[in-house]
Amino acid sequence: MKITIEQVALLSALSHVQSVVERRNTIPILSNVLMSAEGDKLALTATDLDMAIDESVTADVGQAGATTVQAHLLFDIVRKLPDGSQVELKLAGDASRLVLKAGRSTFSLPCLPREDFPVMGEDELPCKFSIGAPELRRLIDKSKFAISTEETRYYLNGIYLHDAESGGVAMLRAVATDGHRLAQVETPLPDGAAGMPGVIIPRKAVNEVRRLIEGREDEIAASLSDTRIRFDLGEAVLTSKLIDGTFPDYSRVIPEGNDKELDVGCGEFKAAVDRVSTISTEKSRAIKLGIGAGRLELSATSPDSGTASEEIPVGYGGETMEIGFNSKYLLDITGQIDGETARFSLADAVSPAIITDPEDESALFVLMPMRV
Amino acid sequence: MPIRRLPEGTINRIAAGEVVERPASVIKELVENAIDAGAKSIDIEMSGGGRDFISVTDDGRGMARDDLLLAIERHATSKLVGDDLLNIATLGFRGEALPSIAAISRLTIASRPHDADDAWSLHVTAGKVKDPEPTAFGKGTRVEVRDLFFATPARLKFLKTDRTETSQAADAVKHLAMSRPDIGFSFTDSGRPVFRYGAEEDLLEDGSLKRLSAVMGRQFSENAISVAVKKDGISLRGYAGLPTFNRGNAQAQYLFVNGRPVRDRLLAGAVRGAYQDFLARNRHPVLALFLDAPAERVDVNVHPAKTEVRFREAGLVRALIVTGLRDALAKAGHRASSSVADAALHAFRPGGGAYSNHGQRFNSGLAEAAAAFQSPFDHLAPGARDTVNTDGVVGETQTGGALADNFPLGAAIGQLHETFVVAQTADGIVIVDQHAAHERLVYERVKKALAHDGVATQGLLIPEVVELGEDGAARLMARVEEFAGLGLVMESFGPGAVIVREVPALLGDTDIQGLVRDLADEMAEYDSALSLKDRLDDVCSTMACHGSVRAGRRLTQTEMNALLREMEVTPHAGQCNHGRPTYIELKLPEIERLFGRR
Repeated sequence: MKITIEQVALLSALSHVQSVVERRNTIPILSNVLMSAEGDKLALTATDLDMAIDESVTADVGQAGATTVQAHLLFDIVRKLPDGSQVELKLAGDASRLVLKAGRSTFSLPCLPREDFPVMGEDELPCKFSIGAPELRRLIDKSKFAISTEETRYYLNGIYLHDAESGGVAMLRAVATDGHRLAQVETPLPDGAAGMPGVIIPRKAVNEVRRLIEGREDEIAASLSDTRIRFDLGEAVLTSKLIDGTFPDYSRVIPEGNDKELDVGCGEFKAAVDRVSTISTEKSRAIKLGIGAGRLELSATSPDSGTASEEIPVGYGGETMEIGFNSKYLLDITGQIDGETARFSLADAVSPAIITDPEDESALFVLMPMRV
Repeated sequence: MPIRRLPEGTINRIAAGEVVERPASVIKELVENAIDAGAKSIDIEMSGGGRDFISVTDDGRGMARDDLLLAIERHATSKLVGDDLLNIATLGFRGEALPSIAAISRLTIASRPHDADDAWSLHVTAGKVKDPEPTAFGKGTRVEVRDLFFATPARLKFLKTDRTETSQAADAVKHLAMSRPDIGFSFTDSGRPVFRYGAEEDLLEDGSLKRLSAVMGRQFSENAISVAVKKDGISLRGYAGLPTFNRGNAQAQYLFVNGRPVRDRLLAGAVRGAYQDFLARNRHPVLALFLDAPAERVDVNVHPAKTEVRFREAGLVRALIVTGLRDALAKAGHRASSSVADAALHAFRPGGGAYSNHGQRFNSGLAEAAAAFQSPFDHLAPGARDTVNTDGVVGETQTGGALADNFPLGAAIGQLHETFVVAQTADGIVIVDQHAAHERLVYERVKKALAHDGVATQGLLIPEVVELGEDGAARLMARVEEFAGLGLVMESFGPGAVIVREVPALLGDTDIQGLVRDLADEMAEYDSALSLKDRLDDVCSTMACHGSVRAGRRLTQTEMNALLREMEVTPHAGQCNHGRPTYIELKLPEIERLFGRR
């Protein structure tokens, strides 16, 4: 194998694939990126056995061939090469070293044979649809924060993507929850997605997809079965296994008949929560909302740091009530509201609250109160 | 095969299997009999690990000829008043020990009642009784057991080495001796005296502590604090070791209920709970506690060997132990283990290295303390002397003098290696580990806040169902309110499962399944909610650790004095969260002794 490639192109491709590679591995080959040159393309593949990213870049292929080298090492080297330089990659005689030359630098990197590189099986992915990158970004951004990090409830460690009906319209819906709060975002169901299996996309794959679609405006081709999902972005393809578990019946935890409606100015509310919570203890971050006609008092108490309170005008006509929340959760959720107003629908101090943007019905958040 | 009634001999041998497990159980039963007979002095002899020969001689009230014959009948006893099994004031009551022992050995009983002139002896060989014969014997009773288990060879094979059996037997006697300082005990093995405890005259506090210290070692009495609480007719007294005087296992925890040595998970759990703040999980306190409850409120008829008891009000007993110990420890918050200072002194002495093992034997923390203590002075070569932070000492000598006299922890003199604060007190010096001490102060503050405000709970949007099995679920449900107080709100969810509705907000996104399972296991083992408290305390101590002054931070004179003053008013400031001392105090006479001035 012998190729010449522009540093910028190689760096961009490497930056996409290397983040899949874990920093520490028990199987050495998993630290490596597979590079195969053929025609006028260099294909890079990285995997952690659960997901894989393939990316192709144009290169001047002198001699076709393939090998694997340590992904993070190669990425760090290419990152430090001068911009715009030409990188020459050449497999040394007995295929045990990859010699990288750029400008006056020469690196000789140990290789592992490409035959050892694990390949994700090519499954049939019967359900295919395409979705606009901005729409996909929105689905991910507004639900990702609620993904659980607790490994024992593995079925909550991802975003549940499925088709659902909302007001008689077929929707593609993304749901995530960690058992304390829940986010539900939807977008009109793309063609071809009808009857798709409900799938749980693991957090790592969610993060990788999100990185790949940053700043893009085009359509992304998605295809999935009940065990795998693939996002095809043209030059890069991400394939991931799905979480093998049953997502809980979340519709049961979204309360109906929360009749007390509180409208707060989103920016003002966020800033007030942020300020008042400075006082609340580091770990529990409790903040109390005292709600009365036309006004909301946020307060926090800590034996060490004293007390804080702030009153803001709100739209509320119901009876007075007090309810406690984790201030971080409040900030997370209100941070996802794009409009000027956030609407809290409440029942009582111990029942879940629904938070929505009155101008955007496609996103809904549920938050369980704290008892303080 | 048709069903038949077993012969008497077989029945006795089966009963013996429960009561007489090993030579130690024979000795325990016989000594208990002697105690119940009102003896003032009990002599125990054994040889061959108890296999060959055991003899227990007492000066109790003795038995007449006819009583001797009855005594070896099964279920014959003088100890039960009427038929009331609820009101048991003696150690024994089942009437099983003697016949059981008689069934499996060659037994000789010689006895003379106090008011009689003639003594009688009785021989039984594997349950076969000979007629009593007149014999010469002083007042009291002697029971001799020869060739134990010769009638049940299978049991003989399961005995351990002579040495093990002997030490088990000695332990059993020590246990009983601890609860009865008024009785003298002597124990002889193959003619060699193992121990002798004289009867203590003073039956108040003092005698009891003397006996305990004779049994558990002098160090115990030096490091023990007295516990005495009483509530609703149940009283707890005894001595609890300081947290800095700890062991690697729970062997040195002696618990007695109405004078009866017990190994009981409820009591052990309560002890763990009481020491939870002060000791790392793998360290155990040393203590001897005597719980006295009216006989009708304790059921001792649970186990043939009577090592387990049941309480009618288990919750009350647990609370009594926990609060009793906590109060006692709170009062002793400023007494670190005397052995800590001892070890430090040993480390100072020329050739002190030879002594350091001495410290390690009973407290691994000591070696560290000694080393930490020693190191600054090792390095105190002339060139290194500038590492002593003597900020403002000169200016404050006057006020320092006043501080030294007025406060127990004295006036800060300086800081060594930016880690240890040295203070002068009225009659000695105090060396404080600044990080350990401050960590403890912050920890106490965090905990106080938690106790004051209650644990904030986070409701679960998706309640977690935990399958536990019926026993586990029932155990958790029985204490559901206590858990709710700690922020874990659960409800029963069908047989064998619980549903968790709220969790302590401090724990964040936590493994609820694991937590609840751990709790259920602990309820089974210790009958208390240790792991929930543990996890909350873990969070508190992490917060405390992050919020406290580290080693390596230079403190000004004012800061050091402030630290000392706060330590004086904070309970439990004498040890860190893991049972290590936060400071040690060296008295002037001890220091003078180091220099040969005394």
